[in-house]
Amino acid sequence: MKKFLKSVSLFLILALLLSCVSFASADGVIEVTLPTYKTGENVGAIFFEPLVERFNAAYEGKYHITLEELTQDMYSDKIKQLGAANALPFLVEGGDSEWIKQVVIPNDMFVDLSGLIADNNLMDILIDSQVAYNTTEDGKVFSICVPVTRPMGLYYNGAMIDLGDKTCADLSWDEFAALLGENKIAFMTGENAWTTQLVLGSLIAVEEGGAELLSTHTIDKLMDYNQPCIINAVAKLQKLMQDYGTSNQVGAVYADAANAFMSKNAAVIANGSWMVGDFLEDGGKWSNGFDGATVRGDVLPGNVALANNDGYQYWIPASVSAEQQEVGKAFILFTLQPENLEAYMLAEGGVAPKLTPSEEYVAAASENKLLYEYVNAVNADTIIVPNAGDIMTSSIGNTEFGNLLPLLISGQLTPEAFCQQLTALAQETALD
Amino acid sequence: MSTVSSQSKKLRRYSLMERRNFPWIYAFLFPTLLLFAVFYVEPILQTFLTSFAKFNGYTTAEWSFDIHNLGGTIFRNYTKLFSMSSFPPALRNLFWWSLIAMTLHVGIGTAVGFLLYQKLRGWKFVRIIFMVPNVISGAAWAMIYRFMFNDDIGVINNLLRKVNPDLHIQWFYSSPAAFWAITFTWVFYAVIVALVVLGDLMAIPASLHEACEIDGANGFQKLIHIDLPLCRNAIGTSILLSVTSRIAMYENIALTSRGGPGNDTYGLALILTKSITDFNYGLANATAMLMFVFGIATMQIINKVFRMDDSVY
Repeated sequence: MKKFLKSVSLFLILALLLSCVSFASADGVIEVTLPTYKTGENVGAIFFEPLVERFNAAYEGKYHITLEELTQDMYSDKIKQLGAANALPFLVEGGDSEWIKQVVIPNDMFVDLSGLIADNNLMDILIDSQVAYNTTEDGKVFSICVPVTRPMGLYYNGAMIDLGDKTCADLSWDEFAALLGENKIAFMTGENAWTTQLVLGSLIAVEEGGAELLSTHTIDKLMDYNQPCIINAVAKLQKLMQDYGTSNQVGAVYADAANAFMSKNAAVIANGSWMVGDFLEDGGKWSNGFDGATVRGDVLPGNVALANNDGYQYWIPASVSAEQQEVGKAFILFTLQPENLEAYMLAEGGVAPKLTPSEEYVAAASENKLLYEYVNAVNADTIIVPNAGDIMTSSIGNTEFGNLLPLLISGQLTPEAFCQQLTALAQETALD
Repeated sequence: MSTVSSQSKKLRRYSLMERRNFPWIYAFLFPTLLLFAVFYVEPILQTFLTSFAKFNGYTTAEWSFDIHNLGGTIFRNYTKLFSMSSFPPALRNLFWWSLIAMTLHVGIGTAVGFLLYQKLRGWKFVRIIFMVPNVISGAAWAMIYRFMFNDDIGVINNLLRKVNPDLHIQWFYSSPAAFWAITFTWVFYAVIVALVVLGDLMAIPASLHEACEIDGANGFQKLIHIDLPLCRNAIGTSILLSVTSRIAMYENIALTSRGGPGNDTYGLALILTKSITDFNYGLANATAMLMFVFGIATMQIINKVFRMDDSVY
């Protein structure tokens, strides 16, 4: 019995130790775990899971990545917790920009990727402004972004709404709302109130000074919401939510908003091009007679598209081993291969400015009419600005904005009071 | 007598054999002391010290001191905490939730404990059924309750609409419904209380009940004069556990109302995590110290009121 207990104890200790580290297996394969939210039902999984499978196949016998599933709204917090515990994974996709800016970069918690860019001539494909944004004062490159811009707009159900010969680029929100009739918009207040943030972003963008405000606060987040362009936009958002919000908008998380749209309880949803995959075939998400073929993609009313190219994407923590860094760099390079960029654009939309598209891509892209329509809705006059969520501090964007929305919808908060509360909350927990 | 006893303690000399064992005693104590120091003392000390600092959790904490501006220097985080708009509702909620925990929650658990003690037919089955919710995590319960309280598809509102077809309550997103909806996620699950009380009831010597019966006491008199007083420690412990759980309550709020609408259902644990989200660890640790102080104070008060250090027999 004692011998048995001793064996079990030794086994458990060994298992515990092995589970804590990535390791090279006996056959020389470097195995690593990648925490990500782009799995399962997440819309990003459509491209990302096959990408990792292709990577594992391409590097079979050398590297192997296992995905660890996280929820999207928990991802940034989880990464921060891992950072605090000095246990970051071999590759991180973005994270809380404030944390990166104030903690990760100043403390050199990242691997400089400038060498990787130079050695592989990546500037031939990367977007210059994105690289510049990710370059520190001392010339280090913090992260590499997939060089695809994806301005976000909205989808509407063409079977429920008729815009006539017009597009959203020709209409203001008031004019668009007038065409909705009894139809609803899929707003949400749960999670980070994503779809609502997008609508608010478009409303701010058309206000005087709004576009400039959105464009100038992606780095230094907005601490004062008591500004006419935001108050006016919030007033319009309040009316839209009161008049055109779905019955489940209060407390709705993304899945609820998407479900409202794909069950014809809402005729409009603001979202990015990655949602196109949900409309190509009924993956069990359609109900109540919804047909993805009737969905139309467009910019947001007021001819606004939301895109924030100033961001962080793939970065490698300095705390990981040389072997793990090797896998991280190999994965980044793999992601940037033309065929993978094209697969990305086919799955989630967007444009890679420096990529010469292959014939196969052009043929495949033209088959996906909705994606083609969505991407090409942007014209020369489109106001392209960052989203409202891009200018909010982490706690405001992730929680407080959504918490205050029910009070705005019910009328307990006026737009002015709503903005005052956001201002107070933004300043409360900020580090002096 | 006590003076003599303390003198004899002072005068006590250890034998040679005992002294030879000292190194072994210290050697065996060392791992425990080390674990205590590393996992208890050090984090509490660090939390305490950094609660007075400007600290983002990653870089070195910065302390500053100005006798003319204590609130803006050494007590900066406490000043900020007390002036936060979510702090008064968090305190108010803590007070009411603690009161509900002490009365309703512990009351339900105690009543179930007494019922089980009667060993009525099927009492073991009831004990298991009562236990089931406890093996489901608070987070899972919170998710279940989100569906139960959903205005469109939730069972609660659909039942209520049988009476009032026009009824629409956004349970987790309107006040004061949100406070009560959160309360319902924990108030009925009192199996720990029931088991602690049942444990004390089981330990009551049968001779006491027999003596009561001989004296002609009825069931109610036995309950009031024998069983309840002898469960004093169990009830005190239950209240202590329930109230400290309210101080630390996080999942039930974060996964349902998230402190909203506005900040109506905020709790101290939510302020703490929000501060961490904005990587203001100094403020988070000040909140943690306040929770720590509340916990210690609760323990002292309950110990005093329920005379927990005294034997019930």
